[in-house]
Amino acid sequence: MTDLLYNYQHIYLFVALFLLFCGIAGVVYRRTLIGMLVSMELIMNGAGLNLAALNRFVSPENGYGMAFTLIIMGIAAAESAIALGIIMLIFKKYRHIEGGDLKEMKD
Amino acid sequence: MNLGEIIFLITVVATLGGAAMAVLSGSIVYALLGLVAAMFGIAGLYIFLNSPFLSMMQILIYVGAVSVLIAFAIMLIGPLYRKPKEWTTVGKFVAALGVALVSLFTFVRFVMETFGDTLPQGVPLAESPSFKITTKEIGRLFFNDLVLPFELISLLVVVAILGAIMLALFSRGNK
Repeated sequence: MTDLLYNYQHIYLFVALFLLFCGIAGVVYRRTLIGMLVSMELIMNGAGLNLAALNRFVSPENGYGMAFTLIIMGIAAAESAIALGIIMLIFKKYRHIEGGDLKEMKD
Repeated sequence: MNLGEIIFLITVVATLGGAAMAVLSGSIVYALLGLVAAMFGIAGLYIFLNSPFLSMMQILIYVGAVSVLIAFAIMLIGPLYRKPKEWTTVGKFVAALGVALVSLFTFVRFVMETFGDTLPQGVPLAESPSFKITTKEIGRLFFNDLVLPFELISLLVVVAILGAIMLALFSRGNK
């Protein structure tokens, strides 16, 4: 039973890598700030999957990777709450959320 | 190929397709749907990694909280459909692809060099020692060794809540 497909480590690592790829491409490519935030969430998800997979396959005797995956989830939730508050402020002030048009960040 | 492998392939395909949809789709609502699909796929991958607690937390926090928050932001910000030019210039697409591909190849090289010697025969399998990290172990870890990061996370969440409230109050005062 060693050659089951879900027992290979590199599949998880490459899935996490593809999530990182999509996230970086989306942060550069998206125009609206919400699109950039969605891409940031993809990057966070990839990091969590990476930590959990490495914990499962490299050091299966303790659970530090899973604990830090939970910590990453908390950080991502707090970050998205703050970012959406800032996006709301930007929309109230400028009436748009285009990332490229925000040239002045002062009053 | 048994049933577990087929479900695993479906999960991986949902994750990859959701991530691609979150980046490439023209509408921001479809991008959010793609993000939700990718998060569900990752929850399934956590189950395959023998950690159902992480899977439940993934569904609770990401699918339940973060995506609903983003959906509320989309609804509050309003008519994004008047500017449907999410597909911007070709140059920007090429630039994004270039930046992402450079990082992708760097990390592919890193993964192959670190774990490449175990790739063909696939040695580090679930064979080695049995993996028995339960929810109880994770809870004990949080209250024994990782007390400081746990408290720092709670502090971070409190500061984030206060910051969001302050942002809302300041925006109301300025109007």
